[in-house]
Amino acid sequence: MSFLHDPQLGNTAITLMAALVLVLQIAMVAQRWLVTNIRVFGVQSFVLAAIAATIAWFNHANHLYVAALLMLLLKALLLPIVLERLVAKVGIRHSIHPVINVPLSVLISGGLTLLGYVVAESFYHPEETSTAATLGHNMLPIAISLFLIGFFMIVNRRNGLTQVLGLLSMENGLFLAAISLTYGVPLVVELGIFFDVLVGAMVLGILMYRIGETFDSMDVSRLRRLRG
Amino acid sequence: MILLWLLIVPLLAGPVAFAVRRRAAMEAVNLIAFLIGLCLAGALAFQVLASGPISLFDGFFYADALSSLIVLLTAFVALVCAVYAVGYFRFVEQNTVFPDQPQPDGPAAARKLRKYYSLMPLFVFSMILVALANNLGILWVASEITTLASVFLVTFYARETSLEAAWKYVMIGGVGLSMALFGTILTYYSAHRVLGIDSLAGLNWTMLLGNASVFDKATMRLAFILILLGYGTKAGMAPMHTWKPDAYSEAPVPAAAMLAAGVLNCALYGLVRFYILTSKCLGPEFASQLLIVFGLLSIGVAVPFILVQKSFRRLLAYSSIDHCGIMVLALGFGGPLGILGLFLHMTFHAVTKPLLFFCAGNIQQHLGTDLFRKAKGGLIHAMPWSGAAFLLGMLAVTGTPPFSLFLSEFTILRAAFSGGHYLPGVLFVAFLVVIFSGFILHIGNLVLGADTGLPAPAPCRWKKYSLLGLASLIILLGFWIPGPLFHLIQSAADVVVTGQSALGAPLVKSLVRLQ
Repeated sequence: MSFLHDPQLGNTAITLMAALVLVLQIAMVAQRWLVTNIRVFGVQSFVLAAIAATIAWFNHANHLYVAALLMLLLKALLLPIVLERLVAKVGIRHSIHPVINVPLSVLISGGLTLLGYVVAESFYHPEETSTAATLGHNMLPIAISLFLIGFFMIVNRRNGLTQVLGLLSMENGLFLAAISLTYGVPLVVELGIFFDVLVGAMVLGILMYRIGETFDSMDVSRLRRLRG
Repeated sequence: MILLWLLIVPLLAGPVAFAVRRRAAMEAVNLIAFLIGLCLAGALAFQVLASGPISLFDGFFYADALSSLIVLLTAFVALVCAVYAVGYFRFVEQNTVFPDQPQPDGPAAARKLRKYYSLMPLFVFSMILVALANNLGILWVASEITTLASVFLVTFYARETSLEAAWKYVMIGGVGLSMALFGTILTYYSAHRVLGIDSLAGLNWTMLLGNASVFDKATMRLAFILILLGYGTKAGMAPMHTWKPDAYSEAPVPAAAMLAAGVLNCALYGLVRFYILTSKCLGPEFASQLLIVFGLLSIGVAVPFILVQKSFRRLLAYSSIDHCGIMVLALGFGGPLGILGLFLHMTFHAVTKPLLFFCAGNIQQHLGTDLFRKAKGGLIHAMPWSGAAFLLGMLAVTGTPPFSLFLSEFTILRAAFSGGHYLPGVLFVAFLVVIFSGFILHIGNLVLGADTGLPAPAPCRWKKYSLLGLASLIILLGFWIPGPLFHLIQSAADVVVTGQSALGAPLVKSLVRLQ
């Protein structure tokens, strides 16, 4: 079973999974159904957890297993379940109406991916050829793209819940950057970040619920009484 | 140990206030906790001044003069807000009709008071954690907790507009802080690829500072841009300031004052820590130019909104954007003078801003509106204390001599001209003059004028004492800065100036003679 310790294989597997994460992100932009969007987000988080575990395995970075486990439990399982229940509770299942239509949105996401590569290229060091450097070089553009596309999702959508999904997928981009560039941040920081993500999602959920009750809609573009 | 107590006291006060339920007991818990907090912060400042930086748990917590200044200001603002809050919320309990409760003084009001008194200590705890964390990741986590702890303070009144304000606050704050986290990760990366430092201490500021000159420069550049946008959003720097007027005008007044005079400092503190690393790594020019542009933009954006403002609560929010811009600008001018100006300004602003919020709160509670249009003017006849204090605070906050903000703004201006930043210096003065005229027009119209026959409000000791205490402190600071306080501000500036230069000579003391 020596191939299980071959760093080359690890790099290939990780790069493939990261590409899948990017595809899922663009699928979220294109997807018009709220519940499907939440599930795509869950799958994306699951793949990220797998990436973290793979990196931990091939680089003997044991504390990354903790990050992978937290990712799996919180973002791949708990948050999608909570968000779906919230959708059921408020009783809104209809589709999302993006500001920009779907084909153009996907095109813009493609452009943002390109931008991610351009930005990441500016600090590429071709003289470094260690596996860690290659890994960082492959992952950073994807992380930046996830971040930018997540931001675009927030701007592009009127439904509050999908804005939350946009924010959470931006954080997924950060997670990818952290695990691939530096094999994760120090464990205590990792725990703090997950705590914040969890509490933040709960806070946004409660707020969303109250907005849904008060306005009979999760359409946050109706929130525009405060001006000037 | 003092660092630990500073954190434990507010952290415990939250659950205790939640458990005691009775209003008087909750008020007492808050007041006592913040009083202890202020004493501890003072003790910490003296200890740091006497014997240098202290740290705890292998440098997990760390306090130098810069952190102790922020802790001291936060603890001070927390205490004055707690004193004012007693009067403010007693009025709310008796007079306010909430959407989910038909008449005043019912269970909904009690529930909301309980929420306020248990969330406020946690909010203060997170701000103190920002200042005491050595690890830049924990600094980020604590900044995020400040947002999460204060969201439900913004939704206190449960109006449709408060939900809107809270939504903007969390979403814009969340996006901003995720940029800050990206910046933190990239900083870690730029250190990591050179040093290979790992494990627990890898993100510690003290550790990073020692090696900042060999960081990867290209990565650090991107990291600083993200940090500036991230913590800038949290501080309410233009163009990411749009949450600020909404949150400040919807939150109950003590919470709004805490946001304006507490969170602002903490966010700028995060920015300053990274500024030190960046300018040590890249030289000061790169960061300076960005800071000057964003600082001027913030002041400039505030100008038209202050001139045409319809509501006095929102006017204060734009003033806060303006002051955020001034502090960012001061950091951009840099040099011993600019940094000293920054911390002087931060201190004086933290003393002055709560007074304005308290006056605005008194007037809003008495009139039931925060619109200039509905307040007919001549308030000084019905509310002599609040009216006079509002005028005084207005003059102080716009930097009129002899008040202390004039001193700090003048120091910043000197830094601009001595550093050769002529155009930004001139624009800075021009913006300030226009803002001054806008303020004097609005507040003058509101407070002065003929008596409209408005009845005087019911007297409230808590409100009056917090107003008088702050007002006399502002007048006092205009003429005399206590020696130890000035020493603390100077040492905080020294942390920045010596940190960013490789030489490490304390330049501030030799160059600046203010008194």
